[in-house]
Amino acid sequence: MSLSLAPDSRVRRALGSEHLAGWAFTLPAVVLIVIFGIVPIVWSGIMSFQANDLVSAPHWVGMANYRALLHDPAFAASVRHTVLYTVLFVPLSVAGAMLVAWALNRKLHGVRFYRLAVFVPVVTSTVATGIIFLWLLDPVFGLVNFFLSKVGIPAQGFLSNPNQALYCIVAMTIWGWLGFDVIIYLAALQGVPQELIEAAEIDGAGKWSSFRNVVLPFLRPATLFLVVWSTISALQLFDEIYVTTRGGPLGSTTVVVFYLYQQAFQFFNAGYGAAIAYVLFLAILVITVIQLKVGSRGVYSNS
Amino acid sequence: MRRVSLGIVGLLALVCAAVALTVGCGSSAGGTAATPGASPTGVVNITMWHGDTDYAAKADNVLVAQWNKANPNIRVTALYNGSNDYALQKTLTAIAGGKPPDITYLYGSWAANIVKSPKVVILNDMIAKDPSFNWNDFWPAERLAATVNGKIMGVPALVDNLAIVYNKKLFDQAGLSYPTAQWTWDDFRAAAKKLTIPAKKQFGWGYPADASEDTVWHWEAMLWDFGGDILTPDNKQAAFNSPQGVQALTMLGDMATVDHSIYIDTTNTKIQQTFNNGHIGMMVTGPWDLPSFPNVKFGVQVMPANRQTISGPDNWVILNNGADRVNASWAFLKWFTAAKQQMYYDLQTGALPTRQSQQQQPDFQTYLTKYPGTDLFVKNMGNAVKSRPTIPQYSKISTFLGQAIVSVMLGKSDAKTALDQAAQQTNALLAVPGS
Repeated sequence: MSLSLAPDSRVRRALGSEHLAGWAFTLPAVVLIVIFGIVPIVWSGIMSFQANDLVSAPHWVGMANYRALLHDPAFAASVRHTVLYTVLFVPLSVAGAMLVAWALNRKLHGVRFYRLAVFVPVVTSTVATGIIFLWLLDPVFGLVNFFLSKVGIPAQGFLSNPNQALYCIVAMTIWGWLGFDVIIYLAALQGVPQELIEAAEIDGAGKWSSFRNVVLPFLRPATLFLVVWSTISALQLFDEIYVTTRGGPLGSTTVVVFYLYQQAFQFFNAGYGAAIAYVLFLAILVITVIQLKVGSRGVYSNS
Repeated sequence: MRRVSLGIVGLLALVCAAVALTVGCGSSAGGTAATPGASPTGVVNITMWHGDTDYAAKADNVLVAQWNKANPNIRVTALYNGSNDYALQKTLTAIAGGKPPDITYLYGSWAANIVKSPKVVILNDMIAKDPSFNWNDFWPAERLAATVNGKIMGVPALVDNLAIVYNKKLFDQAGLSYPTAQWTWDDFRAAAKKLTIPAKKQFGWGYPADASEDTVWHWEAMLWDFGGDILTPDNKQAAFNSPQGVQALTMLGDMATVDHSIYIDTTNTKIQQTFNNGHIGMMVTGPWDLPSFPNVKFGVQVMPANRQTISGPDNWVILNNGADRVNASWAFLKWFTAAKQQMYYDLQTGALPTRQSQQQQPDFQTYLTKYPGTDLFVKNMGNAVKSRPTIPQYSKISTFLGQAIVSVMLGKSDAKTALDQAAQQTNALLAVPGS
């Protein structure tokens, strides 16, 4: 339509192509992402080289924030807590979700109810979840200790015990996020061709064997996605900690992002906080690249 | 974690974004030549940010409407800041954005941090020139908390203090007489022990042990009462690991780990409810908690021994948007925080009087009858003679102390070791120049 208006073929192609319309449609999102995504990312990068308390004029300190991180025992502890949390959370939640999805992917009586029950925690606000667990796990009044006492196990400290608190957070977050993973796996299980399973059964494969050799390979793309996604989320754990233990008792649940929050907004070391954010960002980037490289080897493809 | 972790990084990001976006135009917008609030008609418009909701917000609005009616030349707009918890972040963002409010409500614990901003108006001269403002009418603890290195950075907005709130029924059941003003700490400890009945899941005392400032200031009241202090008078060294400090923390630790008479809430979310359900005999808390105890017939008593308490005053801070608006803000705040207006506010909300002269206001007796228990908290203001150090490092020192207190309460450390370690960290921090 713009033939007569744009004699130059390059301009004509640009105007007439779908590119322009595409950019026009994405422009609002692009502008928002640039303002609220890219600009802050760049800015906090700059901040990480500053002594910045968000109040007085910042000054340049070069790599000092990063060097200080190397010698900060509290940061090292927060890294240890985060790694321990991630190493537990990711395999347990992904494997757990696979089993639950497999169990729910059949003609059960009331399967809709079970699926709903598994998914409800995902849409429940974290604050509500946190408060429920605070009371369930209360050392004195909690329901869990009540049941433990019925079977003769002494009362546990749970979130009040520095040696148990992080494991309680693992359990709590798995409960809270299992439903999301289950949905992904349920969708993936729908994609497994029924005839392949039948063929395997005719060939004499048992339930376990057909799951391992037929179903599992089809779940690899979903598993890869969930492992990457869960790892990123686990490394960024914050709000469950914020609403329950606030990093305690005695710092035993202070994970990296919570430490970042403390530094930036409690101690007003925004420059130091930004440096922590950047270290975390680089760590996530490296881990994700490794996961994608390792995980995508020999993935079955439907196409 | 998927959602709010974004939230917190986003928050940092938003602050940055605001800074980034306005850095270019900041120099022109920040100029004081033309005061944006002054219109050609001579009316100065000022904005006040507050965190009040419900009754309190209504009281604010009534007062502001009164002012606007009587003073057509200074038009005040009161805006809700979303929550006082985020007031500092929002104020800083607004300062960075070049359009700060003229008056903003800030927690007292932020005084030393915000005072570094050149936008904060230091009030010493205005107060000195204006005897009718009567600065000394504010409680000593309020004046101390609003003063950083001799600079008065705000007008006291709200005040409270800690006292013993006890469940009368549990005392009666245990055959104990109610706490008196002559109680010693030994009396306190013995009563807590007697109130503790494991079979009924009943405790003598509830203590917030999340290692936050809430954990710390409860103990600081004890520290002062035992005769100790937080820092040396020049704020250069830790003083809390003195024998008095060790004594105070040892008692707290023994109550927790030997008597088991303390309900230790390491998450600091459940004590109020537990007290209200009749499982805790005594709490050390302030007037703001009283409405949370509808199920308990409670009494209030001053702290044991020397009756020293701690106060947590908050401030109205004036930010510089040009001379006209600063003067207008001062004129309004002077009126707004005067005894008559404060008495109206307190009558509506149950907040403690910020000015001592409010006790002579005609409505004062009505106020005491309307809010049972507050009379003791008002009297207790006189026992709040010390203030936490108003230095920017305090928030960090508080975390060292928080860890020390909780580690003793959980039996992980003894008082001396824990306090010495916190003192070492504190001294190292205070030795850093200009931090």
